[in-house]
Amino acid sequence: MILRLLVDPPAPAAWNMAVDEAMLTLGNAPTLRLYSWAPYAVSLGYFQRAADFADLPAGTTIVRRLTGGGAIHHGDELTFSLALDATLLPPSVAESYVLLHDAVVGTLAELGILSERVAAGHGQSPRPADRWCFASAGRDDLITPRGKLLGSAQRRIQQPRPRVLHHGSLVLQRPSLTPFVAAIADARHTDALLPDLRARLASNLARALELELVPGELTAAERALAAHLQVARYENPAFVQLR
Amino acid sequence: MRPTDRQYLKSHEWCKIENGIATIGISDHAVSHLSDLVFLDLPAKGASVTIGESFGEIESVKAVSSLYSPVTGEVVDTNKELPDNLEWLSQDAFAKSWMIKVKVSSTSPDLIDSKAYDAHCQAEG
Repeated sequence: MILRLLVDPPAPAAWNMAVDEAMLTLGNAPTLRLYSWAPYAVSLGYFQRAADFADLPAGTTIVRRLTGGGAIHHGDELTFSLALDATLLPPSVAESYVLLHDAVVGTLAELGILSERVAAGHGQSPRPADRWCFASAGRDDLITPRGKLLGSAQRRIQQPRPRVLHHGSLVLQRPSLTPFVAAIADARHTDALLPDLRARLASNLARALELELVPGELTAAERALAAHLQVARYENPAFVQLR
Repeated sequence: MRPTDRQYLKSHEWCKIENGIATIGISDHAVSHLSDLVFLDLPAKGASVTIGESFGEIESVKAVSSLYSPVTGEVVDTNKELPDNLEWLSQDAFAKSWMIKVKVSSTSPDLIDSKAYDAHCQAEG
C-alpha cells in the first residue's frame, strides 16, 4: 500500500487546517503532507479557550485546529500531517505516538541532531497547566537538552470509517512567542538542511508505517472540500471563538 | 465480560434503552485506547442527536475523538459531573460514566450485542 506524499508551499493557517481536515474526512490513500505557514500563525488545540490568548500581539493570525493539545506558534518549522486509516497505526493513541515519534528521532539522528522520546513521565495527566504545547514535555514527547522539539496532536474519527489525523510541528528556528522551545537550529544550520530533512522524514515515516512512499497531489474533491472548509470553518470567527 | 443489558456500536459507544430513553456512554475498550482523558464536550439538554453523527467529543492527551450517536432523538439529560471527573471513565465506563440520555425516535441498525462487541474489540486489538 502506498503513502501519498504531498510537499506543499507555505500557506495561510486556515488553508493548512482545511486541507488536513479534507484529507481526513474524504478518506483517500494514506497521506503524508509536509508544509509550512505564511504568515506565521498561532494554532489553538481544539479544546482550548480563545480568551486565554487575548494577550497575543495585535495582528497575530489565530486558527483553531481539529486536533487536540496545546497552542503552537508556527514560525520557521517543518509541519507534517498524516491522514490515514486507524488500522495502519497501533490501536492505542499512546502506541501510535511511540511509532511516529521514534521515526522522527531516527530522522534527526541521521542528520546528527540528538533527540529522544520521553519514555516515562506524566501518567494520568491532569488538564494541561500551560496553554502552550511546547511549554512542558510529557510521556512520549520528543525532546533535546534545550526542551521540547516536536509538537504533536491527533484527531480520530470513526465515520465513515476509523481514521486518524496526526499533526507534527518540528521547530527549525525558535518562534518569537514561544522562545522556550528547542529548535533544530540549536544543532544545525537549517537553510540547507530542509530538503534533506523533508526527504528523510518522509522516508522514515513511510518505513515505520510499512508503506511505499509515492509523490502525489490533492484530488479535486479534496481541494473543493478544503476551499469550503477554509471559509466556512477555519476563517470563521465562530469556530476560532468556539470556546 | 461487558454488560449484556445494552447494545454497542463498533465505534465503541454503548446504548441502554429503557422506557424509550437511551442512556449512552463509551466502552472500557475505548477508554483504554484513549487513556489520560482531559476534556469532554457533551450536547446540552434539548439538543437533537442523529444516528451515526457526532454528539460530542473527548480529548485524551493530544488526541481528540468524536463520539457517535446510536440513536436519533432529543437529549433529555447530560451527565454534568462527568467532564470534571473523567477518571470515572477509567474506573467504570458502564455506570456512573454515562454521558447523555436521549428520548429515542429511532435506533441504529448497526447496534450489536455484547458478545459481538467483545469479538469486535478482540479483533481490533
